[in-house]
Amino acid sequence: MPDKETREPINNLTKQSNSLDNLNFDALKVLFKPHIESFDHLIEAGMETIFKSIKLVVVHPTTFQKLIITLEAPKILSPQKDGIAKTTRKTLYPFECRQAKLTYSGRFTADVCFKYDDSEAILRENFNFGQFPIMLQSKRCNLRDFPPRKLVSYKEEASEMGGYFIVNGLERCIRPIILPKRNYPMSTVRSSFSERREGYTDKAVVIRCVRADQTSLTVKLYHLRNGSARLGFWIHGREYMLPVGILLKALIDTTDREIYANLTSCYSEKYEKGKGVVGTQLVGERAKIILDEVCEVSKKFTRLECLEYIGEHFQPIMHELRNESHYTVADDVLKNYIFVHLENNFDKFNLLIFMLQKLFSLVDQTSVPDNPDSLQNQEVLLPGHLITIYLKAKLEEWLAKGKTLLLDEIKRGGKIGKIGEKFDFRKFHHVKKVLEKNHASGVGKAIESMLTTGRLATSIPLDLPQTSGLTLQAERLNFLRFLSHFRHVHRGALFAGLRTTTVRKLLPESWGFLCPVHTPDGGPCGLLNHMTHTCRITSFYDSQGKVKNYYKIKLSILNILIEIGMTQSLPKIFLPGPPEVLTVLLDGCIVGYIPSTEVEKVVAHIRELKVSSAAVIPDDLEVGYVPLSMGGAYPGLYLFTSPSRFIRPVRNLSIPSNGNENIELIGPFEQVFMEIRCPDGGDGGRKSSFPATHEEIHPTGMLSVVANLTPWSDHNQSPRNMYQCQMAKQTMAFSSQTIQHRADQKLYHLQTPQTPIVRTSAYTEYNIDEFPTGTNAIVAVLAYTGYDMEDAMILNKSSVERGMFHGQIYQTETIDLTELGSQAERSSTIFRKSNLDKGCHSIDSDGLPHVGQMIGPDEPYCSIYNEVTNKTRLIRKKGTEPAYIDCVAVDLKKHRRKANIRFRHPRNPIIGDKFSSRHGQKGVCSQLWPDIDMPFSGNTGMRPDLIINPHAFPSRMTIAMLLESVAAKGGSLHGKFKDATPFRSSVEPGSKSASLVDELGDMLKEKGFNYHGCEVLYSGVYGTELTCEIFIGPVYYQRLRHMVSDKYQVRSTGTVDQITRQPIKGRKRGGGIRFGEMERDSLLAHGAAYLLHDRLHTCSDYHIADVCSICGSMLSTTFIEPQKRPVRDIPGIPVRRAPRKVTCHACQTSKGMETVAMPYIFRYLAAELAAMNIKMTLKLSNGANVSDTGV
Amino acid sequence: MEGASYARMPRVKIRELKDDYMKFELRDTDASVANALRRVMISEVPTVAIDLVEIEVNSSVLNDEFIAHRLGLIPLTSERAMAMRFSRDCDACDGDGQCEYCSVEFHLRVKCITDQTLDVSSKDLISSDHTVTPVDVPGGDASIESDGRGIIIVKLRRGQELRLRAIARKGIGKDHAKWSPAATVTFMYEPDIHINEDLMESLTLEEKKEWVDSSPTRVFDIDPVTQQVMVVDPEAYSYDDEVIKKAEAMGKPGLIEITAKQDSFIFTVESTGAVKASQLLLNSIEILKQKLDAVRLSEDTVEADDQFGELGAHMRGG
Repeated sequence: MPDKETREPINNLTKQSNSLDNLNFDALKVLFKPHIESFDHLIEAGMETIFKSIKLVVVHPTTFQKLIITLEAPKILSPQKDGIAKTTRKTLYPFECRQAKLTYSGRFTADVCFKYDDSEAILRENFNFGQFPIMLQSKRCNLRDFPPRKLVSYKEEASEMGGYFIVNGLERCIRPIILPKRNYPMSTVRSSFSERREGYTDKAVVIRCVRADQTSLTVKLYHLRNGSARLGFWIHGREYMLPVGILLKALIDTTDREIYANLTSCYSEKYEKGKGVVGTQLVGERAKIILDEVCEVSKKFTRLECLEYIGEHFQPIMHELRNESHYTVADDVLKNYIFVHLENNFDKFNLLIFMLQKLFSLVDQTSVPDNPDSLQNQEVLLPGHLITIYLKAKLEEWLAKGKTLLLDEIKRGGKIGKIGEKFDFRKFHHVKKVLEKNHASGVGKAIESMLTTGRLATSIPLDLPQTSGLTLQAERLNFLRFLSHFRHVHRGALFAGLRTTTVRKLLPESWGFLCPVHTPDGGPCGLLNHMTHTCRITSFYDSQGKVKNYYKIKLSILNILIEIGMTQSLPKIFLPGPPEVLTVLLDGCIVGYIPSTEVEKVVAHIRELKVSSAAVIPDDLEVGYVPLSMGGAYPGLYLFTSPSRFIRPVRNLSIPSNGNENIELIGPFEQVFMEIRCPDGGDGGRKSSFPATHEEIHPTGMLSVVANLTPWSDHNQSPRNMYQCQMAKQTMAFSSQTIQHRADQKLYHLQTPQTPIVRTSAYTEYNIDEFPTGTNAIVAVLAYTGYDMEDAMILNKSSVERGMFHGQIYQTETIDLTELGSQAERSSTIFRKSNLDKGCHSIDSDGLPHVGQMIGPDEPYCSIYNEVTNKTRLIRKKGTEPAYIDCVAVDLKKHRRKANIRFRHPRNPIIGDKFSSRHGQKGVCSQLWPDIDMPFSGNTGMRPDLIINPHAFPSRMTIAMLLESVAAKGGSLHGKFKDATPFRSSVEPGSKSASLVDELGDMLKEKGFNYHGCEVLYSGVYGTELTCEIFIGPVYYQRLRHMVSDKYQVRSTGTVDQITRQPIKGRKRGGGIRFGEMERDSLLAHGAAYLLHDRLHTCSDYHIADVCSICGSMLSTTFIEPQKRPVRDIPGIPVRRAPRKVTCHACQTSKGMETVAMPYIFRYLAAELAAMNIKMTLKLSNGANVSDTGV
Repeated sequence: MEGASYARMPRVKIRELKDDYMKFELRDTDASVANALRRVMISEVPTVAIDLVEIEVNSSVLNDEFIAHRLGLIPLTSERAMAMRFSRDCDACDGDGQCEYCSVEFHLRVKCITDQTLDVSSKDLISSDHTVTPVDVPGGDASIESDGRGIIIVKLRRGQELRLRAIARKGIGKDHAKWSPAATVTFMYEPDIHINEDLMESLTLEEKKEWVDSSPTRVFDIDPVTQQVMVVDPEAYSYDDEVIKKAEAMGKPGLIEITAKQDSFIFTVESTGAVKASQLLLNSIEILKQKLDAVRLSEDTVEADDQFGELGAHMRGG
């Protein structure tokens, strides 16, 4: 196309792009925030919160003197290199960790405080808790707040977002998993409840209470068949059920009348069965049962008596409080195991009453159970919080161990220190000595090993749904895959094994928070979800980046609420329940009641404050207003300020704004009861009865980052967009700009990537141009030569030769002399070439290969010399293909102990490689077709790079791919990128009166091309016009990582299995592909007897066995070694081998010996049977006579 | 049929000729010849291209294969290529492909010693033969600005170095695209356009305009004076049938009749610069002739003439 106009704009485009300082990675960094902020909080404040909640009391067994051990002043340093003196220590940077296979971690120290109960003095001692892994880009990371240019100078990506850890050189991130929403009582129906004990029903109200230090305890309020209820809570991994009446009485000083009035407050005869009625007449009956139960079971009436009762029952299991009074024990149980998110017993009492009312409403079917699979009732476990929980458990374990050590020491009365003093509990330095024996650095180690294995190894149960599979490697196969690791949330490994599919369902509640498109198909379908690109997660930080003060927030919210008409909940005052008033819960604490007539106004007011004055009401407050309904969800006003909730921005229509001042953050709990319209101008079917109060910002807000990159995904059949999300993540792309400084085990790299001509707004927003994933290939859609049948595609050989889709795999081998060989060898080995071996050209005198050298399969590339034994050991290249040495990196110590050798495997396209467009259209290259045989355009002379079959379209309906082709053609003719953001037509109504097709078609027509994107092509072979016009244009194609060179498997002969003598399996070991039962069946069906015999016998475990025809055994035969006769070999005459003589052991003769061909496995079977005392006897007969084999 | 000759005498008329661009008409022949010419130009006219690279030092950001591949794709002036030997047939060097008859040696020695990024380009390739040098973008076409910096191979930053020896050899595009001298060779059939004047007159001026505009390329126009539809540029027609479909849609089938002339072709040749466009055509004809020579029948097949008739004689060179 020698069109002069087109050239200039393209030049301009290339010029303006990508000066490092112009790039803005803010949008990208927001995506990683949940990970980083949660870790930041751990370092800044979370650690202290843990320390406050940890206390160890050691009681001297004889003197009953108490020693109280607490932790204080946690300190985590930024990662530093090992050094002797503190002053000479240098900062450790992530790139060094990646290459040297180190862990990016900083020193973790804290003060351990000792206090004897009879003295005021607190004695402190600083303990080193080992190396604590540091998340990249967190507040302790050395890269924090570096501008792009500086990041590049520290050998990082300009966009380095962090959010992961480096453990032994591997980049690992913590997998966020879904948890039940904290501090919200959930009505649950589960059949397993009724199996708990006799008399239980399947209904309960469950609440997961979370403490300030993120540890949680789940409490269940079970309903009994007799109308009563039991509160189930966990202590030391066992569930205990307590009659609710006793608990109510034990919590506060109250009377039966008050309890009765409280419980029945939700029922009033006034309202029969109106809207929002949750109570029924039965509530009174049940209240009576509950109160009667207290008398029957325990004969207790007062609070003290109830506490006594609880204390008495729980004393045996509370090891710490064995010697305390029953009241103390009961107090401890109430404080530490029941409703742990609340401090105050009065609040606990109120919450229990509320839960009972909710439970009875569930039983009476005046409200529906809450769905535990719905995002409405879920939150997410963030990396920082997981570490917090684990760290607390580990610290507690450390202290507990310290206690046993101390007690042991007291018992033993051993000597301490060099002087040999007798251990004295009173002496601080003695206690310190004992504690020092208990390695404190194990705590840091434990966190590190948790990151490597993803397993939580604790003795105390942590109230988490799973204890393994919590971390995963952040693979950099390509940028999109890497990014997805930080945007996904997993439903929990528990559900993966579940047979039911209900948990996997896409529920409307997750709209806007989880992407409906971006979930894998197959095993983890619906369990592994990705957050939408607008979805955020609340954290401990407010929008200014300061740690939130929850106490202040709570007060401020309460003030506002009281100001606008909430009645505060006070002791001895009970108000009627719904429908007259609604209960207000703030983070699971009942704070008051609002008349149901006022509530809508209150909600609107809070929302307004939320948007306008974040100082008064936090902008991420969730205002979960559950309105009155006929048997719907249990009504109430539930406010949440807690961290780790999902939130997303929408527009609040009640606030006038022309910019972004009306953006409100909403959560999945409140969203269900809100009226949010789509900005397409329609009413979404809600008519005038439910006017919209909110509006989506953009329809693409419901898609994840990866799904947002599919051009015009609104024109595709939906499964195709899902496939594209999968394939985008397995594309061989420009994975990293810092390949030179990395030592990943395997890294795919596309040599000449391009930026797509047709792109969405997300592409620019997230700077995907830094890591492009494909090539704009000229695609012709026609059936040509038949090599494009069944999703095969023809590549133009010349295009490939010019560099299209060229790529490499980088593979790094790390040789660490400190880990190689036996302990004794390690110190004496060095990298060196043997002096004797002159033949080995690939290795330099330093024992390492030359850079640029080609290393064939089985060729040595590294030589290790043992100075003591004088032996050299060669390390050889594995695999079947040659590779080039790309880079050799060694450590800078005096004696080299470590070397990274990076190989480069060329991976240029060959037949069998897999490619895909961005529309879930994948195909395998079936031919590299010569350029001259490709069809060509008469006008432009253009030959396609790639031919696909038209049959790929009708059934798959990937219209966007056709649009992309036309748009890219138009875009390249005009020298412009084409915006392909989905749903654009619905957001900008009227701007383009004509359809998208008209817009694109006119672009082509303007430049003299066919409106529909078709062109007349001529056969490359005959030079004649093809009978129909061909649809041709550029489409962005991705190369997938599945390549034949890594997969092909052939074998003629080779290693066989030791036991069965059959060919082994496995590509790596040179095995074959299993010719299985079904394959056998198909050959049988063809009657291909000889082939079958050949494949399954002759080429497998063909064996000639000697069978004794007298006894029928083949196991009792043995060779008899012919006696060596002193025969002199006459030169020239072949040596005559003496025939092998076989005899039967059982018959003591060689008379009946016969040879029989059989599969060796048959002989093995005989041996196995013999081991079980079963004899297998063969009856031999000749030829056609029917031979029956008896056992 | 005695004496009648099937041999046709194709005519070539050159319309436009630049160093790297040529447009010509080929008449009185058929598609097979035209296509053969196209195919030969793309894939069988020999050129010289770098085929073997010995890298001494490469501390640039690109790996060895990448640089070798990029070097290979640099077009080299290949006027000499027709006379050169393929290194596989070369007797002078026993096929190791390093003698003057079949190869040209290049050297590249660049090191960046400043803080500014250094562009290593095809200008830095030092040839052992002054007739074979990297192609410079010709200055003839003013629209394409020649910055005289050659084709960029790699960019170096301070301290990086590239030192290599490269051997260029003769080859053809069939073996590897780097040896292809043609950027594009294409031909189209000359269209034969007949407007049914009577029917055309039955259209109003509006309708005429609409019809004329239905063609994406400017084939027709309306005479401002006579207001008649006339053919402005028949060759702009891309056989897309848009006007025919439009005529049918307007209810006037047969308004226009367009046929492709089966014996005349309009060729467009764009050269990479390795060989001049005109030379490319001449070379291709030469090679086509050589290829035909290879299928000539031998003299002793005269007796089979009753079978082949005149064709036999023709194939023997008669």
